[in-house]
Amino acid sequence: MIVAIATLVLGFVIGYLGQRSRLCFISGYRDFFLTRNTALLKGVGGAFLGALGGYILFSHLGGTIPEFPIFASVGISDFSSEWLIMLIGGLGVGIVGVLSGGCPYRMHILAAEGRKSQWFYLLGFYLGLVFYNLVTVHLMVVIRTLM
Amino acid sequence: MSLRQMKISPFQAGLVLGLGSALVQAYFKVIPPVAYGVCMVCHPRDLFNWIADHLLNLDWKYSMASTNWPVLTVIGVVLGALTAAYLHGELQFKSAQKPLSYFINGFLMINFGLIIGSCPIRIVLLSAYGDFTGVFTWICIVAGVLIGTWFMRWNAHRLVGREPES
Repeated sequence: MIVAIATLVLGFVIGYLGQRSRLCFISGYRDFFLTRNTALLKGVGGAFLGALGGYILFSHLGGTIPEFPIFASVGISDFSSEWLIMLIGGLGVGIVGVLSGGCPYRMHILAAEGRKSQWFYLLGFYLGLVFYNLVTVHLMVVIRTLM
Repeated sequence: MSLRQMKISPFQAGLVLGLGSALVQAYFKVIPPVAYGVCMVCHPRDLFNWIADHLLNLDWKYSMASTNWPVLTVIGVVLGALTAAYLHGELQFKSAQKPLSYFINGFLMINFGLIIGSCPIRIVLLSAYGDFTGVFTWICIVAGVLIGTWFMRWNAHRLVGREPES
């Protein structure tokens, strides 16, 4: 129950702040590449600094921050098929993000503002989730086995 | 100055998002996996699959953080954005443009996102957690944005080139 309430409250806060600030984790890079505008890129930097500061602070205060930092406890894994999958998936997320005009977080916010284009995006998003559960997840198992 | 009049910069919003995601992991059991405070691909997956499993008795996967109750981040984001838009008079029902294009982009985004197990937000959180795979994927996403931006620019030039001279 605590997980549901905490994420609902955090979601509400970041949804409110995201609507007011136009924070987006794709448009920040895009704007920088297109016009050298760094306003949204600073939002990405803020999230990184906030998370890093939070993990350091809460790990010292005794919060549940296990294996932090991960590279110290787990190390760097050798090159494997997972890195290739991350490469293809990462490029896909970046390209599709630019073509759709923002990250999924921004798209949910724009849909909440009443933009019907983003309603179609979310329709595709959640039908895509069904497709992932029925097809992609099994396809990935086959690809991992072949690699 | 009231909250309603306050100007919020993307940096401030990002800072709160990062700090909040660390907070919910540290004290509100949004773990495992680590660095899972906010993810706009995995959290909708968890909620959707949790409901589907409980209603339809399926066996669709979700994270261990959502074992008893699902994460409700996506509901919160929509409600928060709706409240902000309503309070500031920005709630406008604009008609859809290129609906098929948006539909396909949404479809592809969740599939690519779930393949890497992250959205562009969680990649930042994972990198802050010290995960080198996360840093590598972050670089790949930025490279993807660069390729997409080149394509947009090339397409714009191509369309401008086709216009008849006035």
